[in-house]
Amino acid sequence: MNFSVLTTQFWSLCIQGIALGFIYVLISLGYTMVYGVLRLINFANSEVVMVGTFATVVAQVAILKNPATSDPLHGTRLVLTLLFALLFSALACGLLGVLVELVAYRRLRALGTNRLASLISAIAVSIVLSEAVRIYTHSAPVTSPRLLEKWSFGEIAGANFRVDTVMIIVSGGIIFFALDRFVNKSRLGKAIRAVSMSEENSKLMGINLNRVVSLTFFIGGLTTGAAAFFYTTVYETTQFNVGFNLGLAAFTAAVLGGIGNLRGAFYGGLFLGVLEQFSSAILGSQWKSVTVFLVLVLVLLIKPSGIFGEAVQQTRT
Amino acid sequence: MNKKIQRSLAVASAATLIFGVSAVSSAGAAQKTVYLAFQAPLTGPNALTGQDELTGAKFALSEYNATNPAIKVELVLADDQGDPTVAGSLAPGIASNKTIIGLIGPAYSGATQASLPAYKSGGLAMISMSATRVSLTDKKAPVNGFPIFKRVVANDKFQGPALVRYATKGVTSPKVYLVDDISAYGAGLADYAKKTITAAMSAGKDSVPVNTSDYTSVVAKVKASGANVVIYCGYAPDAAKFVKALRDGGYTGVFASGDGTLKADFPVNAGKAAAEGARLTAADVPFENLATAAQMVAYTKLTGIKVPGTYVTSTYNATNIFLTCIKQGSISRPGIQNCITNGTFKGIAGDTIRFDRYGDIIGGAAVGAFTIKDGKIVYGGVA
Repeated sequence: MNFSVLTTQFWSLCIQGIALGFIYVLISLGYTMVYGVLRLINFANSEVVMVGTFATVVAQVAILKNPATSDPLHGTRLVLTLLFALLFSALACGLLGVLVELVAYRRLRALGTNRLASLISAIAVSIVLSEAVRIYTHSAPVTSPRLLEKWSFGEIAGANFRVDTVMIIVSGGIIFFALDRFVNKSRLGKAIRAVSMSEENSKLMGINLNRVVSLTFFIGGLTTGAAAFFYTTVYETTQFNVGFNLGLAAFTAAVLGGIGNLRGAFYGGLFLGVLEQFSSAILGSQWKSVTVFLVLVLVLLIKPSGIFGEAVQQTRT
Repeated sequence: MNKKIQRSLAVASAATLIFGVSAVSSAGAAQKTVYLAFQAPLTGPNALTGQDELTGAKFALSEYNATNPAIKVELVLADDQGDPTVAGSLAPGIASNKTIIGLIGPAYSGATQASLPAYKSGGLAMISMSATRVSLTDKKAPVNGFPIFKRVVANDKFQGPALVRYATKGVTSPKVYLVDDISAYGAGLADYAKKTITAAMSAGKDSVPVNTSDYTSVVAKVKASGANVVIYCGYAPDAAKFVKALRDGGYTGVFASGDGTLKADFPVNAGKAAAEGARLTAADVPFENLATAAQMVAYTKLTGIKVPGTYVTSTYNATNIFLTCIKQGSISRPGIQNCITNGTFKGIAGDTIRFDRYGDIIGGAAVGAFTIKDGKIVYGGVA
């Protein structure tokens, strides 16, 4: 154990953990939205992230013609490029989410099959996606160009406020806030909440169930795609199997916070990001997964529905 | 579950590759053909290692076949992706294919460990061109390669200390932070590097699993420790991510790594700026430094490559050992095994290669020192 790292790097670990946490938050929203409505885990979401990372590279390299070796961009061109890549990745993932629902869920749902069947079909879709990308890329990592130069706003108490870190925290916060407002205040959000409370009653109220489910997958895909964009912008590399670890971490975050609950995903994601940083720093990186899953087991032992699970049963926001 | 299925699919496709390739034969009717397997990562994140090495094997074979020998030799490609799980499932198929009389490889230590049980039971002689983990030839290790495994590279008992020596060269009061990737190769190399790092020199150690994306906590520890030399024991894809995170995090000291990182795509993936000045070692001397001018022309003509990659020399040597034995009439598995164990061979530099009882070259092999300059790997002599 090495606590000495905390003397100089405490705040640095916090800020990095929060930034990583926001990536988890955005992906776990993909899990939690779908679970809230269908009571099913969308196992294909991990591969939706993976597709999003490739969509970001496609947007930057193939569409906007910035080769992997290109120099960082500046000014308006940088902002427009990043915005385009973000929107492209989010839309690609949103549409893929809708497609996943159509292929893996809708028909099985219409036939009233066992819930397990949908889980398996979602896993099947996820394997198809990752294997297709694996074959297409020959399992090799794909590098994305460094378009955003990683300059720093400055250092406070050892915490480096680098531009990409700040960008993730600010944008992640805005996206979450917007989604929270949408689900809580808008008419469509109300429909989503109604379906999540009672599928049968919402149908009686004239809500188009299939439309709401598609919308949920689309929104989950959008946030997942945004996460994929941030991931690619920070780490500048992706690979066919990148979704596995990210998906697992985000799913864990969703369960920690209470799956089906937007705010649960938020706090769960941030908690997990910070926990990963500190456990790696103090115990050693090899203990990261052990710590994370030990904490998950402990939380579930004490509170089986997750930290925020209970409150949601009534409000399901 | 998902990952397991991914793996098994990878194995299935690799198996198709093996049998697909072995079916391709252009041998004349009268000429006898024997097969040598070549096991290395040919696809996947570490594909470049295997693809580079394959050129050495193909070149040695082309020289051999040009002499119009009585026995024709063909390669059977086995793509283990450098992954022990894939290798473990791939090996039984090769071991049971009796037309294969010897195996060049495997390239990676973890893949070698996983393949050994199958090859041992099949009595298939292997000569690795780049598996450097010490325990593979350690008679006391639970998984060693005795008697079938040989290697034509210096093991990590030599590379570990050389890596530390080279990493700290010219650094006043070096403080070394050691990071490994917990793989059979990375952890093994780190163990031997660690033995050379004195307590006064050591700034700390961490082990980060393969395929990690976020290295920020390691960077925080490196910075907190005041290290001015970071040594990474692992493979190029992760080394690229790590060095990038280090430089982005403001670390300005030396970054050094071993042969797992010595690949042309390391500076590409890390970016020119982050990789600049990285110090790398490998139990390898570049092929172009040892080959004759005529050989280099022929090599480029055959492969289309002007500057050979890493471990082409050792693969060329390993292949030639098999070919020498075949030329002498050893065309069965026991025959080859006997020939390799007791024979004396010539390396491309005119050096003598003989193996000790447990599979290492008697007298050891050189460890080369390399630097990344302007995105290119530059050889700087023996470390």
